[in-house]
Amino acid sequence: MSNEITFSGCDRRDFLFGLGASCGSVALSRLLADDARAAESSSPLAPRKAHLTAKARNIVFLLMEGGPSALDTFDPKTTLEKVHLQEFVREGKQKSAMESGKRYYVKSPFQFIKAGESGADMASNWSHLAKVADEICFYRGCQVDSVNHPTAMYQLNCGNRFGGDPGLGAWVTYGLGSLNQNLPGFVVLPEVSYPQGGAANWSNGYLPAHFQGTPLRPKGSPILDLMPPPGVTREQQRKNLDLLAKLNEAHAVEHPSQPELEARMTNYELAFRMQMQVPELLDLSNETAQTQAQYGIGQDATDAFGRKCLLARKLIEKGVRFVQLYNGSWDSHDYIERAHGNLVRGVDQPIAALIADLKQRGLLESTLIVWCGEFGRTPDNGVRGGIAYGRDHNPNAMTMWFAGGGCNAGHTVGATDELGMTAVEDEHHIRDLHVTLLRLMGLDDDKLTYYHAGRFKQLSQFGGEVIDKLMA
Amino acid sequence: MKLLNVVTFLVLGIGSSVSAEESSRDTSDGMWAYRPVVKPTLEKRGSAAIDSLLMKHMPAGSKLAPDATARTFIRRATFDLLGLPPTPTEIAEFEASFNKDADAAVRGLVEHLLSSPHYGERMAQHWLDVTRYADSSGFANDYERGNAWRYRDYVVRSFNADKPFDQFIREQLAGDEIYESLADDKRSSDLLIATGFLRMGPWELTGMEVAKVARQRFLDDVTNSVGETFLAHSLQCARCHDHKFDPVPTRDYYSIQAVFATTQLVERPAPFMSVENTKGFEERRYLEQRRAEYLAELAELDALLLQNAERWFAEQKKDPARWYEAVRVVRNRANQETRRPDVFTAARNSLTAQRVPESEFPPKLVGFTPEQFGRERVARKGLERLNWELDRYEPVALAVYSGRTPELRSVNAPLRLPANRASVGELEETHILAGGDPFAMGKKVQPGVLSVLKDVPQPRMVEQLDGRRLAFAEWVASTKNPLTTRAIVNRVWMWHFGEPLAGNPNNFGSTGKKPTHPELLDWLAATFVEDGWSIKSLHRQIMLSAAYRRASRLSNDGDGSSARSPEQSVPYASFKPRRLSAEELRDAMLAATGELNREIGGIPNRPEINVEAALQPRQVMGTFAAAWVPNPWPAQRHRRSLYALKLRGLSDPLLEVFNAPAPDFSCERREATTVTPQVFALFNGQGTHARALAMAARVLKDLDQMAAADASPQSRDDWAIDRSFRLVLGRKGTDAELAMCKNHWRDMQTLQAKSQPTSIKPPLVVRRDAVEENTGEKFSFQEKLHSNADFVPDLQPSDCDARLRALADVCLVLFNSNEFCYVE
Repeated sequence: MSNEITFSGCDRRDFLFGLGASCGSVALSRLLADDARAAESSSPLAPRKAHLTAKARNIVFLLMEGGPSALDTFDPKTTLEKVHLQEFVREGKQKSAMESGKRYYVKSPFQFIKAGESGADMASNWSHLAKVADEICFYRGCQVDSVNHPTAMYQLNCGNRFGGDPGLGAWVTYGLGSLNQNLPGFVVLPEVSYPQGGAANWSNGYLPAHFQGTPLRPKGSPILDLMPPPGVTREQQRKNLDLLAKLNEAHAVEHPSQPELEARMTNYELAFRMQMQVPELLDLSNETAQTQAQYGIGQDATDAFGRKCLLARKLIEKGVRFVQLYNGSWDSHDYIERAHGNLVRGVDQPIAALIADLKQRGLLESTLIVWCGEFGRTPDNGVRGGIAYGRDHNPNAMTMWFAGGGCNAGHTVGATDELGMTAVEDEHHIRDLHVTLLRLMGLDDDKLTYYHAGRFKQLSQFGGEVIDKLMA
Repeated sequence: MKLLNVVTFLVLGIGSSVSAEESSRDTSDGMWAYRPVVKPTLEKRGSAAIDSLLMKHMPAGSKLAPDATARTFIRRATFDLLGLPPTPTEIAEFEASFNKDADAAVRGLVEHLLSSPHYGERMAQHWLDVTRYADSSGFANDYERGNAWRYRDYVVRSFNADKPFDQFIREQLAGDEIYESLADDKRSSDLLIATGFLRMGPWELTGMEVAKVARQRFLDDVTNSVGETFLAHSLQCARCHDHKFDPVPTRDYYSIQAVFATTQLVERPAPFMSVENTKGFEERRYLEQRRAEYLAELAELDALLLQNAERWFAEQKKDPARWYEAVRVVRNRANQETRRPDVFTAARNSLTAQRVPESEFPPKLVGFTPEQFGRERVARKGLERLNWELDRYEPVALAVYSGRTPELRSVNAPLRLPANRASVGELEETHILAGGDPFAMGKKVQPGVLSVLKDVPQPRMVEQLDGRRLAFAEWVASTKNPLTTRAIVNRVWMWHFGEPLAGNPNNFGSTGKKPTHPELLDWLAATFVEDGWSIKSLHRQIMLSAAYRRASRLSNDGDGSSARSPEQSVPYASFKPRRLSAEELRDAMLAATGELNREIGGIPNRPEINVEAALQPRQVMGTFAAAWVPNPWPAQRHRRSLYALKLRGLSDPLLEVFNAPAPDFSCERREATTVTPQVFALFNGQGTHARALAMAARVLKDLDQMAAADASPQSRDDWAIDRSFRLVLGRKGTDAELAMCKNHWRDMQTLQAKSQPTSIKPPLVVRRDAVEENTGEKFSFQEKLHSNADFVPDLQPSDCDARLRALADVCLVLFNSNEFCYVE
């Protein structure tokens, strides 16, 4: 059977980041002593065969948290210029408090260009991205269920609005494993402040903990408690570990029916090695000055996200399956020109560099880049500052884009109505996006299931369809 | 057609493997859970009956383990019932009486543990996993639920009192309706507090959301939660459409939902009872300090806005006369009525009310810089958030009432009882909703129950505002309801053996796993009801069984040679060795060091958590949530983990990494995965290092007091190491271990003598850098951590000499050992 997923029974002997090539000395001797056991010690993160032919091997997911406005980035609406500041009335019982009070149509303060040979619509402040426009497939038809940030984030990341389910990256690593057994398969590069909804956005949910997203924090210790408290030397740690190994070894001999004891021992050695390896991994100083400049590292506006994008490339090169980058907040209810202007300035050059760099290294083909928020924004707005033109949350029309990884580059799929209020062409619920992303990775959402709490569960919740037009 | 994966499940130490495919596809007996409970006729009674029913299903070729040793048994039983380790004295005493009369000793121990006040804490931990207890509401605001702790303590009290489980059910589902049916002098706050159960799910209503959608989320949540918790039925599958093999049609789902159509959320008055722990309320002053700060900030910004307004009129060349008049009126009013300094906003509102065109007075927050925007928002939202936190000290219960559904726009402050709950608001009708969409109403339904349970007496369902839940609760808690009784005995069984009899304690439906020992499950359910729904009696029966008293491995000397694979070496029907849960790990360390504060109940405490996680900015709607600031006094911090403030948006990384479940969904059973970050938390974490140091200090103090003064240095060292083993592992160290650890102690002392330990002072202020959401500009502000000014740290390395610190290295290793982390 090509679709066997048989992790459930194996919680006894797995551990995160896999069983490295070199196990701890104690555990290794035990493993070698028993070939039968060594054979079954394959890591839950070991690479696994896809259900179908994969177009992409890795995903870099650029999550613009807060909800970027399509009308001010990639979906221009000339009609809005005509109705600018005309009063707008929302009818119906589905009105929220947000929509009470006077509302006005708001035109985009940005100029638009046709970029690349494909003539993609882009606000002119995406000057770097415009240079790689032909690598991009824009999609204007996505719809979601929630207008609140955390619930929309959960739906985007985990398929359901209430959190607690596995994230997309967890599903992908569960389905495909990872190409590097010494690193987590699913890495998250969050902002200093986690997004709304917190770490549940990259949860393993009901999948085994090995598939949990590992955040590499941008400030302080990249992984909590990666290092011992100040004053504890590596020599002390080594000696403590040796004593621990001896005590555990004696105990394990008396407990042959508990293989998880051995897994714990191996984990201590792996953790000890990671203390050295993680800082090396995060060190960008061995990249050339030219590369660093290309990503905007060293410039105030682009440094932070440039570092994340460059690190993402390094992680992909090292075989990490799924990297998710957070940026934001794009929640520009007011002063859209200033707010979105600053945000675009922060990400435009780094993202364009990532695309170009991956392409130059021959990795773009196998790496799917996704850019999106958790929902779209409205063409109308309430009056806040009187002159503070901004936009509220819009679940009915969200624009996103893809690059590399077998996407339909050079095309724009779907369309919104003339005001950008709702998607009207090729509109799909976000579950179909999930199904499509899995499909690009060679995974079939209906087969990528996990038995939990008495039923088989899947990312799309109850199934969905592939959006064919998004695939090359 | 969907291909199902073949997934093999190891079913307990008890029984054989059942594949999930088998259990979900084979619908021939998907109905087992709905049939009446039939008590098997047996000659054996009590615990012996359990053993005979287990033996009936013993697979050929499997083996029974020998009896557990006294030490193994007392450690197992104490963790199982208290979530704490036995003390060295308790172990020694039990071993002595076990050697005289094992049966009597075991009986005595079980009785002793069941009467401990910590028993209720351990059971509460289990129950709160199922009910998703948290002290905050989750989602965008993650507001604190200041009064949730009273529900947590109600659960502890109920288990300690061995409250009949049917009563426990009725109180949680309909305590408020019972309360209101009683005479004043019979009314107990507990009845209101109990309904906190119905409030446990994450919920909020922000201004962004359609109120009806949020209401429907509550209804769906509570319907499913009641199903999972009491009936072992995940009802949500029936929300959208009927399922082919499932005997719960969509109509039933909405009938049960109709029971809750008049259930309204409220934080209602409920006087503190003498049994409640109301100590520590003086911590309120730290919150008041913050409140004063926010008010001062807003006053300053308000004054600034008034200045900016003047400038605006000058620049716009408009007549400010009406504005000044409005400001004057508002100022006079403000002095009398409100402490909140928002003269500018109030003046704007008053002109709006007078229908003055908007163009004639300054816009909101006129002339603010991005930083001022940010500061204003932080203070305003901060005040809003403080309201929820300050509710903690009020005689108020997180509860419900029955009434019409009030019109809510957004919920930014605790909801109080409305005056006219029977006349104001919408009398909700419940309809079948197509696809679960609250705007796609189908047929109207009446309050009802699961139609498949034909043998359970049907309650007289009412359609009035009041009494729907009470009638429903009577049906749930009926002695004839086979789902309810099987569900709870299945859970208690799992709490002891690590594996349930029916594999999905929250789902007995057609897709859930079937029981491995159906007769045993029924025997337990029937006996439970005969014994007056007594949970303690159920514990006795299970714990006195031969099965529970057996070792968890086949031979105690265990050279492992007889067993080729782990599976073959797992004995039949034995306690399954388990890793301590996250809370047990932390509590057991505190118990070993003697630091554990065993006080029961009360407002949540804040232990020290990883300091980077504690101070990390946490986004909530429109602002940052307050930092995690630990309690100032060690005794406050060292309470059992059950009492730690449980925020949905910020979990203690130590607990999280050891599989403490997130409270978003009901947790039917804890996972115990082994992952690398556990090493970081337990081997590197500040918390374990602090415990190791406290442990070493305790041992050396004991040494001074207890060891013979004239003993040789060598034997004194032996005594100290042995004492550490007894306190941490509950046994004496072997000669080899003592030698190894003594060497280590000596080696580490040499290393420690070279190091210069520092002490860490907690910060009084944390700087927050943010992108102001209106403008996209960066701004920063300072958050003051008031209680840190009074912070008394745990014992610090800099307070200790190299000898003590080196012994702490030994203790750190012991706390990390497999033997400490597992119970068998």
